[in-house]
Amino acid sequence: MLIFGSKELVNDVIQRDLCIGCGMCMDICPYFKIYRGKSAMLFPCTLEQGPCNAHCPKTEVDLDGLCRFYWNEPYDGRPLGHFSGILAAKAGKQVKAGFQGGGTVSALIAYALEKKMVGGAILTGAEGIEPVARLVKKPEQVAASAGSKFIAAPTLSALNQAAREGERRLAVVGTPCQMTAVAQMRMNPLAREDFEDPVALTVGVFCNWALENRQLTAYLSERMDIAEITGMDIPPPPAEVLVVKTTTGEKQFPLKDIRKLIPHTCFICTDMTAEWTDVSVGMYEGRSGWNTLLVRTRTGAELVDKAVADGWLKTEAFPEANQKMLSNAALAKKERSFRHADRQGYLNQDDEESRPALRVPPEVLARFLG
Amino acid sequence: MTNQTLSADPFNLIITGVGGQGNVLASKLIGNMLADQGFYVTIGETFGASQRGGSVMSHLRISTKSSLSPQMPRGKAHAIVSLEPTEAIRVLQEYGNPEVKVISNTRPVYALEVISGEISYPSDEELKGWMQKLTGAYWLIDATDQAVKMGNPILGNVLLVGALAGIGDLPLTKEGFRKVMARTMPASKLDINLAAFDKGLAMIN
Amino acid sequence: MNTISDGRPGEKRLMQGNDAFARGALEAGLAVAAGYPGTPSSEIVENLARVSRERNIYVEWSVNEKVAMEVAAAASFAGLRSAAIMKQVGVNVAADFMLHLSETGTRGGMILISCEDPGALSSGNEGESRPFAKLFEVPLIEPADFQEAKDMTKWAFELSEEIRNLVMIRSVTRLSHASGNVVLGELPAETPAARFEHKGDFMDPDKGYMVPFPVHFRHLQMQKKLRKAVSIFEDCPFNSYEGPEAPEVLIVTSSAGYLYSKEAIQLLGVEGRVGLLKMGTTWPLPPKFMEKYLSTSPVIYTVEEVLPFLEDNVKILAAELAGRIGVKTFHGRSDGTLPSVNELNPDLVAAGLSKILSLEYTAMAPAYAEIAQAAGATAAPARDLAFCAGCPHRSSLWTIHNVLEMDGREGFLCGDIGCYTLGVMATGYGTLKTVHAMGSGTGLASGFGKLKQFGMDQPVLSVCGDSTFFHAVMPALVNAIHNQADMTLVVLDNSGTAMTGFQPHPGSEEDAAGNAVPALDIAEIAKAMGAHVEQSDPFEVAATQNKLLSLLDKGGVNVFILKQGCALGPEKKGRKLFDVSVDEDVCFGENCGCNKLCTRVFKCPGLKWDPEKKTARIDDVICSGCGMCASICPSGAIQKKEIA
Repeated sequence: MLIFGSKELVNDVIQRDLCIGCGMCMDICPYFKIYRGKSAMLFPCTLEQGPCNAHCPKTEVDLDGLCRFYWNEPYDGRPLGHFSGILAAKAGKQVKAGFQGGGTVSALIAYALEKKMVGGAILTGAEGIEPVARLVKKPEQVAASAGSKFIAAPTLSALNQAAREGERRLAVVGTPCQMTAVAQMRMNPLAREDFEDPVALTVGVFCNWALENRQLTAYLSERMDIAEITGMDIPPPPAEVLVVKTTTGEKQFPLKDIRKLIPHTCFICTDMTAEWTDVSVGMYEGRSGWNTLLVRTRTGAELVDKAVADGWLKTEAFPEANQKMLSNAALAKKERSFRHADRQGYLNQDDEESRPALRVPPEVLARFLG
Repeated sequence: MTNQTLSADPFNLIITGVGGQGNVLASKLIGNMLADQGFYVTIGETFGASQRGGSVMSHLRISTKSSLSPQMPRGKAHAIVSLEPTEAIRVLQEYGNPEVKVISNTRPVYALEVISGEISYPSDEELKGWMQKLTGAYWLIDATDQAVKMGNPILGNVLLVGALAGIGDLPLTKEGFRKVMARTMPASKLDINLAAFDKGLAMIN
Repeated sequence: MNTISDGRPGEKRLMQGNDAFARGALEAGLAVAAGYPGTPSSEIVENLARVSRERNIYVEWSVNEKVAMEVAAAASFAGLRSAAIMKQVGVNVAADFMLHLSETGTRGGMILISCEDPGALSSGNEGESRPFAKLFEVPLIEPADFQEAKDMTKWAFELSEEIRNLVMIRSVTRLSHASGNVVLGELPAETPAARFEHKGDFMDPDKGYMVPFPVHFRHLQMQKKLRKAVSIFEDCPFNSYEGPEAPEVLIVTSSAGYLYSKEAIQLLGVEGRVGLLKMGTTWPLPPKFMEKYLSTSPVIYTVEEVLPFLEDNVKILAAELAGRIGVKTFHGRSDGTLPSVNELNPDLVAAGLSKILSLEYTAMAPAYAEIAQAAGATAAPARDLAFCAGCPHRSSLWTIHNVLEMDGREGFLCGDIGCYTLGVMATGYGTLKTVHAMGSGTGLASGFGKLKQFGMDQPVLSVCGDSTFFHAVMPALVNAIHNQADMTLVVLDNSGTAMTGFQPHPGSEEDAAGNAVPALDIAEIAKAMGAHVEQSDPFEVAATQNKLLSLLDKGGVNVFILKQGCALGPEKKGRKLFDVSVDEDVCFGENCGCNKLCTRVFKCPGLKWDPEKKTARIDDVICSGCGMCASICPSGAIQKKEIA
C-alpha cells in the first residue's frame, strides 16, 4: 500500500470534501483537529509519511491488501464481506435496559468488559446531538453510549488517545468507515518497529449513510431548540421519518429532507456492514427488538458463544430470505458507490495531483461497473 | 570644547545587537562618557522594533567639531561593538571597511527562521572566517556567559563597553564610566557594573 | 538620576531629540502637555510627565490625539502655554479640531509637535503631517539638530503668542530618536495662573468667544496671522546658509535632511561648489529671504523627508520670482534624484548630488563590498520581527488562528494598531488579514458583519489592544451593536500601551505622572453598550479555544477579552512564572506526532532546536517562563515547574 503524508491528506480528502470526520487523524499529532464533524489541518506538517494519511479510510484504501491481510484471500467484492455465521440477536436477560433496537452491541461490549476480555471500549456517546468519542472501562457505563447517532462521529480520536496512554486490548465499536480506519491501523502500514496493536475486539455497526453534523444542526436549529434534544431514531420502513426525541416530546422530520444532509463522501462508501471486524451488527428489518449479527472471526465467534452461554446475549437463526434481502441491499450499495466513485475519479487513478480514495482489483471493479 | 584629539575625526562607532539586549543603554553610556569629555557626540538609533526580535543598531559619531548625521555613511565605521555575532556581519555588510575593528559577543540570539529550522545559524569557524576577511582586527568575547556568571546577562553590555575601552581607540576610562553610571544608575548597582567593565577591559589585554 | 529639569543654564548635555523638545518646552514655561503614545514621539510626554510634580505642570496621556489637542487648547484658552504631542498619524486624528482651532486662534502659546517616521521604521505608513499646516493655515517649523529641537520649541511658544495661533513643529525619527549635544537654558521660576475669560465682546481675542463665527472674518484673521508669521520668518535665526556666494548647486533642506546634506557635501568634497540653505521655517516660506539665496544658483536640489512639500513650495515661489531670479532646474524627490519613498541618509543625498554634478562616488570598495555581501548572505540570517518570549499575543493569536481553522468557514481577523499588528507575520501565524488605522479593525468588522444578506457566511473577528479600545474602537463597537452586525471583537488586554513603552491609558490605575486614577473597565463598558462579553486568560489554551469556538456560532456582537500582562510590563519583567525545561528522552522532535511544533510552528524565541540531539531546548537567557510551550507540547516533554 502506498503511504503519503498530511499534505496529500489535505489535498485528497479535506479539499475533496471526502472527510467523514471519523477521528482517526485526530489526537495522533497537534496538527489535525475535528470540530463539529469537519477536520482541519491547523498548521502544515512537513513529514512525507504519516499515520494521518495511512490510516485514513478515504484515501489510498487498498481493498485487496486489507482482504489478504485479514482473510488471506484476494478481494472479490462479496456483498457482506467475509463471515462465518449470521444470526438474529438481542441483549440477554443479564443486560439491563437502556439501549436502542436489539441492544446486541451494548450486550457484547458490556459482556467483554465484565469478563475482562477487553480492558476498555471505544464508543460514541452524545452531548445533545453532538456525537463525542468515549473510552469506557466499566460495563455499567456502556448503556450511556448506546443508540445510533446518525451523525458522523470522531470516535477514533479516543482510540488514538487511549493507545497513546498505553491502553492495549481495547474494543472498538464503529461504522464501516471507522472500522476501515481501524483495520488499516492494525496492519501497521508504516512498519513501525515499536508498533503494538491496541485493539483486541472490533464491533462494526451497519451503515448506509450518516448525516453531516453542521448541516443537520443548521436544519434542526431552524425548526426547534436543539438544546432540548435527547436522542434520534429512524424507525424501519415504511415510516420514512427521522424521529427526534426531546425533553418535551418527539418531533418528526421527513427523510426526503434529511437525506439531503448526507455528505457526498457516503456515496463513495462501498461497505454497508463493516467488513473488517470481528462481528458486525445491524437492524433486523421487520423484526423490532432484534438485530442482525454477522460473526466474522474466531474472536467474534468465541465472544458470541460465551455471551450466549452466560445469558448476556440471545440468538436465533437468521432466515435465509432475510439474509438474501440484506445481501441485496449491501450489493446495491457497493454497485452504486463503485459507480459513483469511478465517475468522480476516485478509484485506482494515479496522477501527480491526487491519489485514489480506493484501490480495487480491476477485474472486481469491472464486474461492478458492468 | 575639548583639547583632546581623536584617532579619526569624526570617529564612527556602531553598537549593534538584537532587540532587548540593551543596545540603546550601551550607546547612551559610551555617548555620555565621551560627551563628558567635551566631544560632540551624535547618536542615531534604530529601535522602533527593539523589543520584538529585530536587528538594532546605534550609530555614534564622535567629533571635536560639530554634530553629524545620525546615520553614518556607508563603509565608514571605525569600530563595531556587537552584542550578537551575526549582527556584526550584517553591519559589516553596510558599514565595514578593511581597517574596521570589531568586538563581538559570542552568544547567539537565533532568528525566527533559525529557531524554526528553515535556515541554519553560521558556525563559529564560518563567523571567524568572515571576520578575518572583513576587519582590520576583531575580538570575540563570551560576554553574556561571563555576565550570567556575574548574575545578570544584561551586564554583557558593560563587559563589551569595557572591552571597547580596552582597544584604546577612543578615550574611554573607568573613571569616566563610573561618573556616568553614578548619574544614571541606582548606587546599589554601581559595584557590579564596575566589575563588569573591568572584566571586559581585561578580556582585551 | 538625570531628568530634563536638571542641569545648570549653559551646561552642555548629551540629549535625545525628544529630551530636547521636552526641555525646550520647560524652558518656555509650558504648563500643560497632552499626547497619545506613538513612536517616535512618546518620550516627549514621558519626560515631561516625569518632572510634572517638581515643575508643577500638568501632563496627560489623553485617550486619543484629538482629545489631546483639545486638552492642550483649553490650557491655551485659559492663558497657559501648552503643547499637543503625537506621531504623524495622530495629526490625522486631531485634524478636525485643528482646523477649527486655527479659526478661533489661541491665547497662551500653543504648539503641536508631530514626530514623523520616514521609512516607517515603526509605523504602518510614511505619513506626512506638514501639508496640514498649509491646509489649516498655521505656521510650520522644522528643527535640524538637537540644539534647535530645544531652542525652536521655546521660540515656537513666543511665535504662537505673537500671532495668536497654533504653531506646528515637525520632527522625524532621526531627530526624535537620535541624540546630540545641547546647551541648556534657564527654566522659569513661576507657575502661571489659569483663567478662561469669556465675558468680553464676541470678537475680542482675549476675552471673547472661542468660536469659528463669523467664518469669513475668522478666516481672514487666520490669513493675517500667517502673514505676520512670514514677516517674522524673514529674520529667523533658524534659517541659515553656508557655502560659496554663487554655488553651482543650491541645496534647500530642512530637518534631518540638513545633517545628511552637510555630510554628503563633505563626502564628495564639494564644499566650494555647493551651497546649503537650511530652512527652519518651512511653511510659509519667507519670500525675501528665499529670493536672496535662490538667485545665487541655477540648480536647486531639495533634500527633505517623505513628500516633496518643501520642494513644491520652493517651486511655487521660484515661479512667482522667476522674473527676478531667472529660470531654475529642480532636483529632489519629484524627479527621481532622490527616491520617492523611504527615508534618506547621507549616501542617498550624496548619490543624488554626485549625479547632478556628474561626479563618481563610491562608498565602499567593490572588492570589499563583494565579500561583505557574500558574508551577509550566508552568515547574517534575516531577522523577522517576533513577539517577545512570553508575549500573551502569541498565545492569543495561536488560539484565534486554530479556532478559525477548526471552524472551517474561512473566518478572518481584522487587525488594528499595536504589537499585535505583527499577527500578519509568522510570529502571529499570519492570522491578521487587515490592518489600517487605530480602531479600523472593528470598524471593518462592523461592515463585514452586515454582509450576510449578500451571502457572506464567514465568521468576522476583529482584534484590538486595551489602549486602542479606548482610543478609537469604542465608536466602531457602538456602531456594530447599534446596527446589529455579527462580529466578535477580541480585546488583547495586556494592561498598558505596550508597543510604545507601557504608557498608561484610561484602563490604567495610574496616570502619566503616577497619580492614582479611576481605571475604566473594558468588560463593563462593552456590557453597558449591549455586547455579549466573555473573558479568558490566553495562557489557558483549552478554555480560551472553547469559548471562542462557541462565540463564532453566536450572532450579534461579542466581545472576548483576553487578559494577560505584557511580558515586559512592570509586574512581569524579569520575573519568571515557571521554570521551563525539556525532557530530551520524551521529546518527539522531528518525528510524527510532533514534528517540532514548538520550534517550527509555535516559534517562541525562548526555544531552540538542537540539531544534533534532535530535541527542543529552552534558552534560559531569553525564556520568560510563561509556560505556554509546555501547554502545547504534544508529548509532555516540555515541563513547567511553578516558581514559588
